[in-house]
Amino acid sequence: MSTTFDLAIIGGGPAGYVAAERAGKKGLKVVLIEKGELGGVCLNEGCIPTKTLLYSAKLYDNAVGASKYGVEAKEVTFDFTKMMDRKQKVVKKLVGGVGMKMKEHHVQVIKNSAYIKGRSANGITISVGGDEIVATNLLICTGSEAFLPPIPGLGAPGDLILTNREILQLKEKPESLVIIGGGVIGLEFASFYNSLGTKVTIIEMLDEILTGMDREMSEMLRKEYTKKGITFNLSAKVTEVKGNEVFYEKGGKTTSIKGEKILVSVGRKPNTAGFGLENIGVELNRGGIKVDEKMRTNVPNVFAAGDVTGFSLLAHTASREGEVVVNNLTGRNDQMRYNAIPGVVYTNPEFSGVGLTEESAKAQNIEYKVAKLPLAFAGRFIAENEGGAGLCKVLIGAKYGEVLGVHILGNPSGEIIYGASMAIEMEMTIKEMEEVIFPHPTISEIFKETIFSF
Amino acid sequence: MPKVQFIDPSVARQAGEITFNPIPVNQYAKTVAEEKANFSNDDFLRIYHDMVVIREFETMLNLIKTTGEYSAIPYDHPGPAHLSAGQEAAAVGMAYTLTVDDFIFGSHRSHGEILAKGLSAIQKLNDTDLLAIMESFFNGTVLNVVKKDFIGTTKELGRRFLIYGTLAEIFARETGFNKGLGGSMHAFFTPFGVYPNNAIVGGSGDISVGAALYKKINRKPGLVVANIGDASMACGPVWEGLSFASMDQFNELWEGDMKGGLPVIFNVMNNQYGMGGQTCGETMGYGKVARIGAGVNPEQMHSESVDGYNPLAVIDAYRRKRQLIDEKKGPILLEILTYRYSGHSPSDASSYRSKEEIEAWQAQDSIASFGKSLVDAKVTDQNTLDTVWADIKQIMVEMLKLSINDEVSPRMDIRQRPEQIGEMIFSNQSVDKMEDRTPEVNHPMAENPRVIQISKKERFAFDADGKPFSKMKQYQLRDGIFDAIVDRFYKDPTLVAYGEENRDWGGAFAVYRGLTEALPYHRLFNSPISEASIVGTAIGYAMCGGRVIPEIMYCDFLGRCGDEVFNQLPKWQAMSGNMLKMPVVMRVSVGSKYGAQHSQDWTSLVAHIPGLKVVFPVTPYDAKGLMNSALQGTDPVIFFESQRVYDIGEQFHKGGVPEGYYEIPFGEPDVKREGKDVTILTIGATLYRALDAAKILEEKYGLSAEVIDARSLVPFNYEKVVASVKKTGRIIVSGDATSRGSFLNDLARNITELAFDYLDAPPVVVGSRNWITPAYELEEAFFPQPEWFIDAIHEKIVPLKGHVSGQNFSDLEQIRRAKLGV
Repeated sequence: MSTTFDLAIIGGGPAGYVAAERAGKKGLKVVLIEKGELGGVCLNEGCIPTKTLLYSAKLYDNAVGASKYGVEAKEVTFDFTKMMDRKQKVVKKLVGGVGMKMKEHHVQVIKNSAYIKGRSANGITISVGGDEIVATNLLICTGSEAFLPPIPGLGAPGDLILTNREILQLKEKPESLVIIGGGVIGLEFASFYNSLGTKVTIIEMLDEILTGMDREMSEMLRKEYTKKGITFNLSAKVTEVKGNEVFYEKGGKTTSIKGEKILVSVGRKPNTAGFGLENIGVELNRGGIKVDEKMRTNVPNVFAAGDVTGFSLLAHTASREGEVVVNNLTGRNDQMRYNAIPGVVYTNPEFSGVGLTEESAKAQNIEYKVAKLPLAFAGRFIAENEGGAGLCKVLIGAKYGEVLGVHILGNPSGEIIYGASMAIEMEMTIKEMEEVIFPHPTISEIFKETIFSF
Repeated sequence: MPKVQFIDPSVARQAGEITFNPIPVNQYAKTVAEEKANFSNDDFLRIYHDMVVIREFETMLNLIKTTGEYSAIPYDHPGPAHLSAGQEAAAVGMAYTLTVDDFIFGSHRSHGEILAKGLSAIQKLNDTDLLAIMESFFNGTVLNVVKKDFIGTTKELGRRFLIYGTLAEIFARETGFNKGLGGSMHAFFTPFGVYPNNAIVGGSGDISVGAALYKKINRKPGLVVANIGDASMACGPVWEGLSFASMDQFNELWEGDMKGGLPVIFNVMNNQYGMGGQTCGETMGYGKVARIGAGVNPEQMHSESVDGYNPLAVIDAYRRKRQLIDEKKGPILLEILTYRYSGHSPSDASSYRSKEEIEAWQAQDSIASFGKSLVDAKVTDQNTLDTVWADIKQIMVEMLKLSINDEVSPRMDIRQRPEQIGEMIFSNQSVDKMEDRTPEVNHPMAENPRVIQISKKERFAFDADGKPFSKMKQYQLRDGIFDAIVDRFYKDPTLVAYGEENRDWGGAFAVYRGLTEALPYHRLFNSPISEASIVGTAIGYAMCGGRVIPEIMYCDFLGRCGDEVFNQLPKWQAMSGNMLKMPVVMRVSVGSKYGAQHSQDWTSLVAHIPGLKVVFPVTPYDAKGLMNSALQGTDPVIFFESQRVYDIGEQFHKGGVPEGYYEIPFGEPDVKREGKDVTILTIGATLYRALDAAKILEEKYGLSAEVIDARSLVPFNYEKVVASVKKTGRIIVSGDATSRGSFLNDLARNITELAFDYLDAPPVVVGSRNWITPAYELEEAFFPQPEWFIDAIHEKIVPLKGHVSGQNFSDLEQIRRAKLGV
């Protein structure tokens, strides 16, 4: 086994494997060290498995509601075990695909735990399963794990208390589910189990779900799910967990609710301990590895990307960060920008956004103009969403008319939103957007229609 | 280190005691009647007249500052006015016997001294000479203002010229004695023997000693008076001036007619307050200033305390002390006891002293008492005295009107000529010798052992095959400096060099080896180890007309002459309206290996100060050429040398170091290695590490580095550097100074502005860490090393394939260090 590399990557998630692939393609000698499966949380216990399950739920919902479209489906049922099995198959296929890509680009993959031993004139020494490797450059993408808040009585994740990891391994659909934390992860699992008929209750500390997303649409989505039977407890602080009973305080009153299972989805924390970061003096910031806009840490030749940096916590951010590292290493000046990172909540309907929300623009004192249109202004939406509602909101700069933010509630906004990402990334103004041709009839036209309403 | 003087332990260790002689205090007791033999009636009246001029002048300024008008003439003077009403007898007594050739230096409170010495000079000059001085000064600019419509004697005209020139200077008029660039605290007029007054307390304490040194070494007539205050006796530079002035070598080692003491009188105007601090009773402990003389030398500096409220007592003292100066028994210490009526400045309400005290001194007012004694002695009558007052008041009114009239007394037109002040910062002249006479040397230059030795050396470091000659054979950097200096010693008779180990030892780092043989003591000597006096006296020496090389050994000792280097050396050319030149080449050696207080590169500190030229050659060719330019010029130059390279041979200049005289102009950086991918601009001996880095870049990374040696910091021509950046698009600026606030950042900023469109990355500064300089064995962690350049390029400019950085140039580390202040 070769022991010297141009680039060693610790962590095979979306930051690590994408960086490995890009670096390998550019001719660097790369080693990717992963203690679990390639693909990271995203592929194994996050984005991909949840989307697989949510698609099953959506199919079920559509089948149940098919008669609106003149399709009659009788005795529609679902098989929870088959859903879970299919999820495993999808994950396995994609993980295998990542492995193939690594091979294709001559990335050496070591499936083991890495430990950084130190730095010398030759590079960074990493011990992996008793062997030592030396790399000129080191990219750390060890990701994050679910954060368990210090709530009295809250036990370790297992049978009753679940995180994103455990909930994906359930054998049976629970009859009731209490979700602590109304963020993206909480909402997506709420959506899935709600479709399957589980009694879902969400307890959120803040006064609205989906912090960071457009508030108006978050509220619309919450009302939609309230109609579908989910109970939302906002501005509610969980004070204690006793067995399967969750106590929370709201407006000065303490109430409790029981659930067959309890999902904790209040946030994530970067994985920075246990692999020798301290041996090379990498500086941390609010629990994550501190990096500059080129993803460089404070230690020369050492980089970090993905959740371990502790701020964006999105797979596509992580991949792009990994690319920034490789670009700079291979002579292309590249900086990470965070103003055009799209976010999608895979509820039904989907909820997507990119750039500034009205709330963040106000907080930053950015002067903006806003335009809104119901999705019904797009012909195809009417055609495909009987009785469905949706909204598109566009924010532009008050002075130059550049696109600052786009938010869409409605299916399939997740597939459309990249167009808005491009507009923001390319610093396009609405005048320039007006000259872009959209295919007709598509739901994406709503973006252009909204822009024309300024 | 004179071998001729044997220190005999059996003598040195003998028992004994130090004895002191009584120091006279207020011993003068003659009456006007008794003095009639020594003064004519006119003399007495003139003393009275001169005191009244000062009183009225200061009264006028006080009224302008406090009431905004004088004799119903309104005027706003926003600048300073440190007034000396009450001290007139002291000033006039001091100046009365002085000749035009005698120089006085002063303090922030010297209006009275300027007027007294000016009036004394006008009295002593014949009309032709007086007129010639006035007509030639700034081409008659000052004279023309007062001459217009004036009918009267030349001396009367001279009196108006003096008052007007001083007043216009205080009011910052271009028609003032120093074009308005000196102002109240600095005004002076050298043709009358009035040398710079100094706003820094004690500032004249060492500069005046340099003036006396100039007079002695160049055999110029006259003595020098340092008018300093009672509070300045606590200032280090004053003590250093006293020590320098009283060196044994003047009597023990200087030869022939050079034997004997310095012609300098430390005249302490003891007005008993240093700002609001009472010197006797509160802030000092000497009881009487005159006591200090007993601590300086066995002659006790011929110290004496004199009643400065009686002009005749002061004149008597000066008559006696001049006798001592003529017998080469200087230095002298005189304490002239006096009292100021007004506050330290017009904003000072004298809250620190009682009304009764001021009134008690006013009750014995020197002018009133002296006038009364003249009337009592029937020298004159009250009517005549009243006429003197009236006459002077009338002149003051007229001179004030002239000096505040913007038509006849305009300020410097900085709108029309915005660079006018800038043009005065340097004199930029090229002068072979400051005076035309035969230099005093011990033998012809060709017979000098060092000159002979150098002539046999290899003037280029490498032989025809590129192999280096042995160090001993190479013409070294120290030889280049020596070459230029010895050459100038044989050209310029005024040139002197002194410092801490200049004679016998061979000078610091053997630069002066051979000079001892070539020069008599008075041209090359060891000074006390007191940098303020070394530089301060050099300033005085130069402003009187000499050329001088003060040397302070380690750069780290610059702090010890902070005021001299920051406030005095750089400022006087411009503050004088370019009347003064400052041909001072101050040698400063940057150390290494000697830790925190002997290894610092402080080029940035001096480069920050306007008015200093700063060079730092690190090759023998550059050292000789730049030293020649420095010694040919008339500006103060801080000449940095590096102890890392005193023994280095010439590696760059084709044909080696020329034997003859040549100059390298200041400000021109020099390309030491051509390249196309990255530029490295260095200050000082860092050059050689940059060249090593260039080699690594070439061999390991295929990058071709262009290495430019800044050579000069001030002035600096950016054109060559910008041209290089246009080619390479990248630049590292490096030197051994600690990075924060260093001149490297100045270079980087200017290059950014001048070559922004051509830069692929921001200029990167590679300086020393913001730490103490560690021991030699640890210094690779502190000073820029060849590898640091590679690291900086890798982190800040372009990633180098396979490079692992040794030094941390990451942005986050930069931020972290700044946060911690290290």
